[in-house]
Amino acid sequence: MRLLTHNMLSCNIKGVTNGFPLRLEVEKFVEKEVDFSAEFLRNIFPKIEWKALVDASRSMGYSQLPDEADSSMLDSDDFLKKFHHALLELHLEEGVLICPETGRRFPVNKGIPNMLLHEDEVFVFDGVNLVLNYHLNSTW
Amino acid sequence: MFFNVTRARRYLHQSHEVFPSLSGIVLSVGHLRTFKSMTDFQEDGSPGFSSLVSEGGLHIQKSISVCHDERCSFSSVQSTPDIEKKYVHHVYDAIAPHFSSTRFAKWPKVATFLNSLPLGSLILDAGCGNGKYLGLNPDCFFIGCDISAPLINICAGRGHEAMVADAVNLPYRTGFGDAAISIAVLHHLSTESRRKKAIEELVRVVKKGGLVLITVWAVEQEDKSLVTKWTPLTNKYTEEWIGPGSPRVRSPSSLTLESISETEENSFGDCQEKQMSNKHTHLQKLDGSVAYENWTNNKNQQEYFVPWHLPYHRAEVSGESARALANGLAKKDDKKGAVVYNRYYHVFIEGELER
Repeated sequence: MRLLTHNMLSCNIKGVTNGFPLRLEVEKFVEKEVDFSAEFLRNIFPKIEWKALVDASRSMGYSQLPDEADSSMLDSDDFLKKFHHALLELHLEEGVLICPETGRRFPVNKGIPNMLLHEDEVFVFDGVNLVLNYHLNSTW
Repeated sequence: MFFNVTRARRYLHQSHEVFPSLSGIVLSVGHLRTFKSMTDFQEDGSPGFSSLVSEGGLHIQKSISVCHDERCSFSSVQSTPDIEKKYVHHVYDAIAPHFSSTRFAKWPKVATFLNSLPLGSLILDAGCGNGKYLGLNPDCFFIGCDISAPLINICAGRGHEAMVADAVNLPYRTGFGDAAISIAVLHHLSTESRRKKAIEELVRVVKKGGLVLITVWAVEQEDKSLVTKWTPLTNKYTEEWIGPGSPRVRSPSSLTLESISETEENSFGDCQEKQMSNKHTHLQKLDGSVAYENWTNNKNQQEYFVPWHLPYHRAEVSGESARALANGLAKKDDKKGAVVYNRYYHVFIEGELER
């Protein structure tokens, strides 16, 4: 799993408001070379939550990203190379992604995160609301 | 009307307790469809349910603690109905490698759509299967997800970004993607509300002004004889249709829909020996003005089991197929030399997707 993907992942357990970013527990990671494209990086940059990327890359041992970034830095080749490396070339192979709000652990095996929820995480048990709705609408 | 949907066996023990009063008691709203499907798919075949349904009263769980250790299913669009677990998830898990080897043809309209997206686009594929479309446009970045872990393993083996996730509940931040596709996925979701939720998810994860492409199997087939190979589900499986009187949920972003009808030839291999031609209704959704088609509620047959013949020599060594045969989920077809799995499809009629 690359950090570009990680930057998008959010815990989707019902009721969770703060499921991003997921904390990384790294057991094994690898570095894989990827073709560099400045154009691509410039397009992707506005979507990226920078702090999440910095923290995630640090957990994989890469601390060369600046703490803050703005779009003017995209003109710098040096910056782009570091951005490229962190975003696309660091792969989490084995580890865990942890929801910041609930602590729920999503395993990552062979680079594949498993984000499937269990049945009881998929909805909120809300008996009070059901009773109220019945009385208000006389229907279920 | 509401039903208490719990694990079948436990419920039968309580089957004749009816609590007429409502006050302060925990209630659970069951999906009519799920309830019925549990009746039908129970492995021990207990017949007790139909009498319960016909009683038509209010069935209430006595206390919260009972509910909890019983793993109650509450009304939820996101909880996976049994019919999907048995006739979609498990089937695809078992047939994954064989299925993947037949999924190589790239449908032209999908390819055109993907290639039309600007450089550097982030494209999300919900229900990506074996990753056929991931990386199709080399200038874009694809992230795929599928509920089938074996299929995702195949994707990852090809070097794509992929994860195991549920299309009805995508674990993505809102508005991250530039485009999303859902190719031949929605027809595996067994209820209208789940299909609707899946579409809402596709729209949510894409940025404002982004594009979504959805394709599904259509009822209107060019070759009518093919439909006879499919097993229609009888009324006991038919889902609850949302009647014309109920309020329609409006999604927050407004959508314009365009219909592109297309005939694909030889694009979908279903049985070993035969290729099917399907007419697919492709829809593009754009942020713009609202346009919904008027759809009359005619209950044509739309729920089908479509067979998948897994050749003997491909049936997994791990015994997945043996288990399926034991559970009655698959049959042996010695004439064709294959294990036959049935896959659940909700086949769409024209205009249904636009609702």
